[in-house]
Amino acid sequence: MAKARQWEPLDEMSVTPVLDLRGVDKSFGPVQVLHGAALSAYAGEVTALVGDNGAGKSTLIKCLGGMLPMDGGEYLFEGRPVRVGSPREAAALGIEIVHQDLALCENLDVVQNMFLGRERRSGMVLDEAAMEEMAARTLTGLSVRTIKSVRQPISSLSGGQRQSVAIARAMLWDSKVVVLDEPTSALGVAQSRQVLEVVRRLADRGRAVVLVSHNMNDVFAVADRICVMFLGRTVAQVRASDVTHAQVVELITSGRSGDGVEAGRPVPVHGRGTGPGGGAGRG
Amino acid sequence: MMRAAPSPEEVRRHNLGTLLRHIHLRGSASRAELAEGMGLNRSTIMALTSELTAAGVVREELPRSTGRRAGRPSLVVRPESTRVYVLAFQIGVHRLVAARVGLGGVILDRRETTRPRGPFDPDEIVGVLASFTRQLVRRADPDAVCVGAGAAFSGMVRSSDGMVRYGPNIGAVDVSLGEMLSRRLGLGLTVAIANNANLGALAEHRRGVGVGCQNLLYLHADVGVGGGIIVGGRLLEGADGYGGEVGHMVVNPAGRRCGCGSRGCLEAEVGELALLAHAGREDAVAELGGREAVQAVLEAADRGDSAAREALHRVGDWLGLGVANLVNVFNPEMVIFGGTLRDIYLGAAAQVRSRLATGAMAASRERVRLRTAELGEDTTLVGAAELAFSEVLNDPLEVLARLRTGAAAGRPLRDRSGSRV
Repeated sequence: MAKARQWEPLDEMSVTPVLDLRGVDKSFGPVQVLHGAALSAYAGEVTALVGDNGAGKSTLIKCLGGMLPMDGGEYLFEGRPVRVGSPREAAALGIEIVHQDLALCENLDVVQNMFLGRERRSGMVLDEAAMEEMAARTLTGLSVRTIKSVRQPISSLSGGQRQSVAIARAMLWDSKVVVLDEPTSALGVAQSRQVLEVVRRLADRGRAVVLVSHNMNDVFAVADRICVMFLGRTVAQVRASDVTHAQVVELITSGRSGDGVEAGRPVPVHGRGTGPGGGAGRG
Repeated sequence: MMRAAPSPEEVRRHNLGTLLRHIHLRGSASRAELAEGMGLNRSTIMALTSELTAAGVVREELPRSTGRRAGRPSLVVRPESTRVYVLAFQIGVHRLVAARVGLGGVILDRRETTRPRGPFDPDEIVGVLASFTRQLVRRADPDAVCVGAGAAFSGMVRSSDGMVRYGPNIGAVDVSLGEMLSRRLGLGLTVAIANNANLGALAEHRRGVGVGCQNLLYLHADVGVGGGIIVGGRLLEGADGYGGEVGHMVVNPAGRRCGCGSRGCLEAEVGELALLAHAGREDAVAELGGREAVQAVLEAADRGDSAAREALHRVGDWLGLGVANLVNVFNPEMVIFGGTLRDIYLGAAAQVRSRLATGAMAASRERVRLRTAELGEDTTLVGAAELAFSEVLNDPLEVLARLRTGAAAGRPLRDRSGSRV
């Protein structure tokens, strides 16, 4: 009997990352913000991007999304070098960025928001029935059960529900890479739980998810990989299953992991001045 | 299936069961998809679906949107969810739930109540569930047929006869609850009963986050902590059905007293009572009830309450240690946290995974996925429904024929006549 879902192997030796940024440099005038930063994201996985304030996470995400031009470095999408000069070009590749402000229209309902600017037509008129069904199916696919009607205006939804709608919109448009910027930062416990579960499902449905977060607990709850930035550099890209909380915190605060070793396996620390090689390290 | 030459009748019965199981678990499918999925030709599929349609368990319809494909569209086979249903029960320490679950796994209707703390009284439990059942059956379609009943119990249940052997937190010892319930419902059905976490594992494996995973662990907490282990696609039952009691794996020999009489069981270190005791909120259960008391600790931890945070981290550490041991022993593809462990895991993931990273061997842990139960609060209830459906899925026509005759003979199974085509 055919299985509904198959789990992809996690073995990166044989898997090309969907998104692979290497050796990214970026300066604002005389200030160099990124020094050879790197980030890889894989289909079906959540990659957490962590680092202190000012480590360069936002700048890297802006380069990734085409909002800022890169000064140097490589941008590979599905293994091919690409140029991403604008958010539109990023979207055309299948990269969706869900910003903290979510960019949802308060006065429109869930369906209208999910299809905003990409409405489906049937002849001259909008195909409301088809859009409604697709929106509902997408939310169900992510097991979002708390939204009672897809015709509710966004203004009537809670923070967690709004975040879920924004994530579902990315799912609906078949994005290959979804970047979520601090999705739980403004939410309470129950709402955060709901959003974390949706984030996890988004990856389990095959998307490459990049989660930018300050909350180590959220990172460990859903991430498969952790990419740590420190002062504009990527100091480690590790599997979440290979590191401890203490090691990640140390990487974030000092750019290196003191013992550098756990259970006899070195944690890859691509330290100072790492060039393009700071990529997908593995313990 | 290495037996020599099954009879055509056996082949047909097997195929009918397989097809119905496919529709039940994966939802509506076109005849063409079924033919491909089952490796049978379309005329065989048509013969099977017409038999099932005649029996009233599925119906065939033209697809809603035909798309732009050329040619006659393949008929879509849908489960008759409102006409073929089971009764599912969840018997927890705090909560009693009864539900009517339609073919395809849809929860059609439900009743639930919180169970007052106090001594276990099987008569009272059976009474409540029987009265819920009467309400549920009354509200069913007049031509609907109830094809089974299953119950998830938080305690140890003997697989051979459904005897409840032990429920440490519910206070039950050697009660034939399944038999009592069957008699009291008076529907002419045997109520199958099994451990709640085992059923939770089954539910998540068939319908939840574990679909496609052949090796998984399901950990469930309400007051106690239970487990269900799926190895090679099958539930590990053990000799008598008591397998998977991971909650009574000793992780801390010098630890807290456990309800089972031992010391430092996983349950004693990560269960609701441990969390509340560490947070200094033992009294909260009486005021708020178990789940709400746990929620209150999580919320306090999120707001920065240091006692709550410390309690959560401590519980997370022990949970991680328990999971690390289990990962070393079973090498699962996935570990699923259900019940209140769902909240505990998400709230203490840093501790759980740090312990896993240091306590489990790299080769065993590198592919393991930690997930929360996708069926949420209903995991064990859905598992009870799956248990209830197993008989009809093994031999759909025989079971239906028997039940319908039973109904005609005056049993309170509501069924107007035979089939509708």
